[in-house]
Amino acid sequence: MAKTKEITSRIKSVKSTKKITKAMEMVAASKMKKTITSVLKTRTYSNLSWVTVVNLAKSLNNKHEKHPLLTSRESINKELIILISANRGLCGSLNSSIINKAHESIKKYSEPNNIQTDFILIGKKGSSIHRHGYNIAAEFEKKDIETFITDVRPITQMIIKEFLSGKYDKVMLAYTDFINPLEQKPRIKQLIPVDTSSEDQYLGATGKSELLKTDLDYIKTKEDKYLHDKYGNYEYTIEPNEQEVLNELIPRLIEVQIYQAILESNASEHSARMNAMHNATISANDLIDELTLYYNKARQSGITSELSEISAGANALN
Amino acid sequence: MTNLIKFEIVTPERTILKEQIVSITVPTTEGELTILAHHIPIVSILKPGIIQIRKDGGEIDLMAVSGGFIEVLRNKIVIMADTAERAQEIDEARAEEARQRAEELMKNIEKSDDIDFASISANMAKELARIKTANKWKNIKHPHNTLNSEKK
Repeated sequence: MAKTKEITSRIKSVKSTKKITKAMEMVAASKMKKTITSVLKTRTYSNLSWVTVVNLAKSLNNKHEKHPLLTSRESINKELIILISANRGLCGSLNSSIINKAHESIKKYSEPNNIQTDFILIGKKGSSIHRHGYNIAAEFEKKDIETFITDVRPITQMIIKEFLSGKYDKVMLAYTDFINPLEQKPRIKQLIPVDTSSEDQYLGATGKSELLKTDLDYIKTKEDKYLHDKYGNYEYTIEPNEQEVLNELIPRLIEVQIYQAILESNASEHSARMNAMHNATISANDLIDELTLYYNKARQSGITSELSEISAGANALN
Repeated sequence: MTNLIKFEIVTPERTILKEQIVSITVPTTEGELTILAHHIPIVSILKPGIIQIRKDGGEIDLMAVSGGFIEVLRNKIVIMADTAERAQEIDEARAEEARQRAEELMKNIEKSDDIDFASISANMAKELARIKTANKWKNIKHPHNTLNSEKK
């Protein structure tokens, strides 16, 4: 009988674990939905600011002046990577894959060219990059509940200042791109200098999910519909001047990109956790089935042995 | 020929308003700017203040803005604001409270560095803009809006 008791208590504990994983799965699912809608909401702003930056950069180029935040440097000695990770584990391989991705890309591109790499961490789990021997320049807290654009502002100010002072020659952003609830991809993207010349079809936006629809058409229709008239090209009037507008606008663009990357990573984190918890629930179910089978077997054999004892006893009396 | 302009105001967090309007007045760093239909394309920096919109039918809408950009295209206006709020959404008491907090901080700031000072004074300018917007909103007659609120 002792055996069946043990098994029932195990079944009980597995059942309560299952309840927890099930609840975590549901929570992660609803958080994921929320984050995706907020990524979508930032899309308009980033599209609009990207187009404006590109337009202004063009008109600056015509005057042979270049904005420092838009100009790539010829020799790169030091780079900075902003690494966005989750605050917690229990989300599959999400954290380790972004850390490995960053490590691999440094091995591949930076080390052969003698580029030194520093890190800025957003999220607690990123700190294990330290194991690879990289220098961590700063660590910023990532909020669990909701991130606002104002939370990103200090990071943006810091990296722009350090870039302009010449401490770093390049700033990259490492984040996990949310492609769909079943697929997340670690990605590394150049943040500063802002590359306006490249035919980046994803514009100033981070994230390449189909769900999020980058608005390439919008940009095209904008030029045709709103900037040209029948007499030829329109020129912007820019107040006070290009330099100053860019000085204000580029930091905003960088800010919104970091913001998007954080939201994107959050969405990935929640969906990865949702999957991990879903799998945990399934294995809990399997385990319960298996244990129930053992329990029944143990009970049956208990009954059989009792019966045979009774009948043996009865036989002995006769 | 219509005299309506497409207007859109967005912040990094959301789209505040998207509507057809007749005219708009915005506070830019170079001074106040009113834009009607067929304005030439222009880009300018906004400073904290009140955005006033006149809609078709003379209805007026107010918004508090804490800074950002305005981009005027052919018959389309886009405002990329840092933060923006419609007058109806502003909680006046809380705005006043926030302003007082900023003011207190500013008095005690001498020992802190420039960055703190800059961010607090920016915050104060933002709260002032919100309060002004809320006050101005109260002083405007809005037949449509009161009707709406009664319906609710």
